[in-house]
Amino acid sequence: MKSISELLETTLAKAPCWAEARYHRRNSQSLSVQKGLVKQAKSNLTSGVGIRVFIDGAWGFSSTSDLNLQALEKALKQAIECAKSLSQLKKSNLKNLPETKLARGEFKIPGYETLKKMPLEQKLHAVLKAEELTRNNSALIHSATCVYNEIFEDKIVVTTDGANASSQLARNEFKIGAIASKDGEMAESHESVGRTGSWECLFSRTTLNEMSDSAAKLAVDLLSAPKIPGGNTVLILSPAMVGLLSHEAIGHTVEADFVLSGSVAQGKLGTLVASPLITLSDSGIVAGVEHSGGELLVDDEGVLTTKTVIIKNGILSSYLHNRESAAIYGVEPTGNGRAWLYSDEPLIRMRNTYIEPGTQTLEEIISSTKEGYLVDCPLGGQADATGEFMFGAQKVTKIENGKLTKMFRGATISGQAFEVLSTVDAVSREFLLDLGSGYCGKGQPAKVDAGGPYIRCRATIGGVQE
Amino acid sequence: MSPLFKNEKEKLETAANKLLSYAINSGADTAEVCGGYGTKTKITLEKQDYHLASSDDGYSLGVRVLKGNRQGFASCNSTDATELKEIAIKANEIAGFSPDNPHYNIQRANNIPIEAPHNLVDPALTEISLQTQKEWTQLLVAEATKDKRFRLNEGGVEIGTGISLVINSLGTHQMEVDTAASWSLMGMGVQDKLITSFDYFSHLSRHASTTPERIILSTRKFIEEVLRNLNTGRSESYKGLVIFSPRAVLDILISSLSYHFNGRVVAETTGRWGLKNRDQQILNSQLSLKDNPWLRDRSGCSTFDREGTPTRPMDLIEKGVLKSFCLDHYAAHALKLTSTGHAAGGPSSLPAVSTHTLCLAPGEESQHSLYQRVSAAQKSFLVVQRYSGQSDPVTGDFSGVAKGAEWWVNGERRYYVQETLISGNIFQALGEDLFAISKETEVIDCDEESPTLVINNISVTGG
Repeated sequence: MKSISELLETTLAKAPCWAEARYHRRNSQSLSVQKGLVKQAKSNLTSGVGIRVFIDGAWGFSSTSDLNLQALEKALKQAIECAKSLSQLKKSNLKNLPETKLARGEFKIPGYETLKKMPLEQKLHAVLKAEELTRNNSALIHSATCVYNEIFEDKIVVTTDGANASSQLARNEFKIGAIASKDGEMAESHESVGRTGSWECLFSRTTLNEMSDSAAKLAVDLLSAPKIPGGNTVLILSPAMVGLLSHEAIGHTVEADFVLSGSVAQGKLGTLVASPLITLSDSGIVAGVEHSGGELLVDDEGVLTTKTVIIKNGILSSYLHNRESAAIYGVEPTGNGRAWLYSDEPLIRMRNTYIEPGTQTLEEIISSTKEGYLVDCPLGGQADATGEFMFGAQKVTKIENGKLTKMFRGATISGQAFEVLSTVDAVSREFLLDLGSGYCGKGQPAKVDAGGPYIRCRATIGGVQE
Repeated sequence: MSPLFKNEKEKLETAANKLLSYAINSGADTAEVCGGYGTKTKITLEKQDYHLASSDDGYSLGVRVLKGNRQGFASCNSTDATELKEIAIKANEIAGFSPDNPHYNIQRANNIPIEAPHNLVDPALTEISLQTQKEWTQLLVAEATKDKRFRLNEGGVEIGTGISLVINSLGTHQMEVDTAASWSLMGMGVQDKLITSFDYFSHLSRHASTTPERIILSTRKFIEEVLRNLNTGRSESYKGLVIFSPRAVLDILISSLSYHFNGRVVAETTGRWGLKNRDQQILNSQLSLKDNPWLRDRSGCSTFDREGTPTRPMDLIEKGVLKSFCLDHYAAHALKLTSTGHAAGGPSSLPAVSTHTLCLAPGEESQHSLYQRVSAAQKSFLVVQRYSGQSDPVTGDFSGVAKGAEWWVNGERRYYVQETLISGNIFQALGEDLFAISKETEVIDCDEESPTLVINNISVTGG
């Protein structure tokens, strides 16, 4: 019996054009507990092969969940028919994909086997315990929710121009939510962690008990916190907030497909777009950081992931590429072609996006700030073509004369990303990738991570007006 | 049953029945199978150009089992007997180690009412060739590229058919086929150094004959909306009246409000209202909100829910008075009520509670008169078109960026603003701070519907 890799190669041998066959098996489990009751315990298995062809500048794609030669050949035929149909309309001058160095062999990230061997029952007990701990942390906690998700991925990518890479990784995440209430007032908080690797990797930095305690305490503290006054002000952003800024507001604008459509980063390569203190990168592996949530060795086009320095000392130095956009720009692909399922085509997506650390300590930055806010605990956010961003933050603490004073209720911060990065005048040496439980949405989800140091900048806080 | 997709229906039913029997034979007391088949052809656009054409089809099946009060669930995307057996065993294994939860239950569903929209298939749409779909995509591109200031980031035209099936060991058997053509665009306006915010629209049609015209008209309207944002300026900070477009009403106010109609939230007492609040005034008396799953041309149209329970139109709020909550069997059991057909989800997910198509009732005042009244009350004000921000459903607080927002001064629209933040609270906004409701309504993205609202005491922070 042929191996899957051989089956893919046999199928592609009949392709009259450039073609790619990608096998993807995804097994995910999800557990959630609220108020002591299991709300969800489930297991999903999705597997199949996506076949993509490139004919006269047009892409054709088809997929099948049947792993036999007949089904794969049918998918190849459909993909060719689709591409031929579209090639008459395509305006692009790029008719073929240029040669590039492609991955061959096995690419495994440690942790897969040990996480798989750990019984799901044991993981459920941990979720139940964490929820109970959070709920019983204070009499003011009205309810708590704990969620654990894990994904096991097995992939094989074969292309007609030489890629033949099999990869294996496991990603997991743990989330705790708490709702506190008092006298009819309610406040909500969230703590989360996401990693690539084993169960132990997930709690290597913060224990479950610490996460639970932190979520409960924040919800209780927010109950009595006032709403923040709105305005343009000095902010110190935490690593998680810096991660959001790097990913949402900068990262998306430098995805080459987006640049070609006219994003704010178009035509700015080689120009000063941020403070010289800022160096911003996107990488499959981050030196010195193990088990980051967006860890990736090879992408879904069979390209080895590289570290891409997007902004170097304030100067825009690279966009993020897949094979097609790299060919258009005449550069090497950066390993950013990623697909969520076998039935999805690879798109340009980020991996781990971060600002490099600086030299000051957080303490030094706070003590040299006369007036401003320390912004932490992101609640998600969005950005658009202009680089204008909006991020929510659960925890905002006032800084007065170099000291942290009172805490405010969650707020929204906004600004134009490149303008905000131009105002950066302090970058901490403390560094953290802290968004590993996050998903990026771009038609299909992608597991990513982001972070950086603490940075001091100016932006707008959306609060109440009197 | 429509003869269309006969083979696919039979294959799906056969696999679902096998899975059900495997689940019972593996130790389940009761079991439910949710299955789906989907086929689609898609032509996508990217970077101002045609990008990719694709063609796919596939099956998915999920099984929920109950062993006493313990529940397990597993799913796969295959009809292969070996994989179906594996997921039946996995679901039972999960139920085996899960703690008791008295509210899990599986029920036999009633028949779908005769007045429900039974046929969601236009046979002509299922026979559209790739060539015709290409021509429809060309219509979309032609309209989107007429004005060179519009930059097309991505979009496309998709034609798809879905078959949904729910069966259970108590005799429930519901099947529905749904065909639609849908199209979408994402892009921005670019003029010299000025770039507008990202904008997005999607639309659907269940009739082949009207699709080309609808593609042209909906795209034209969208491009006009994007390009007018090229005239930008700054807003001022203030607290007072703000006009919310129908899209903004749905995105900011109604999406958070719907959390509080979720029966599971009510059962867990994490929402604002409980059963004791039914038939009580909870919001402004000008407000009436209905959930209507029977609107044929809306994307939320369905005749039964994730558990097979028939759906029906339902009043949630009538003149500010709370009428109903949305319930699946879990919430219904916890609240000692019956399901209202609001179990949401698909073959790879467990049932959760969600609304179908929310429709906020219109007021009696014309939009023109409403703008005049606001202009008379306030020298300058903001009109929020879209929103990018946070809404905390628990507290009702929202804070975010007003996208494509208009800045009005002395009764005239001056320009569109960027980097302007708004914040407020949904309960106050839809309670004492609701100033006016327009009589005109708009359907957003072929689904939910709302009039324009004027809300007082909204904080606006100018950029």
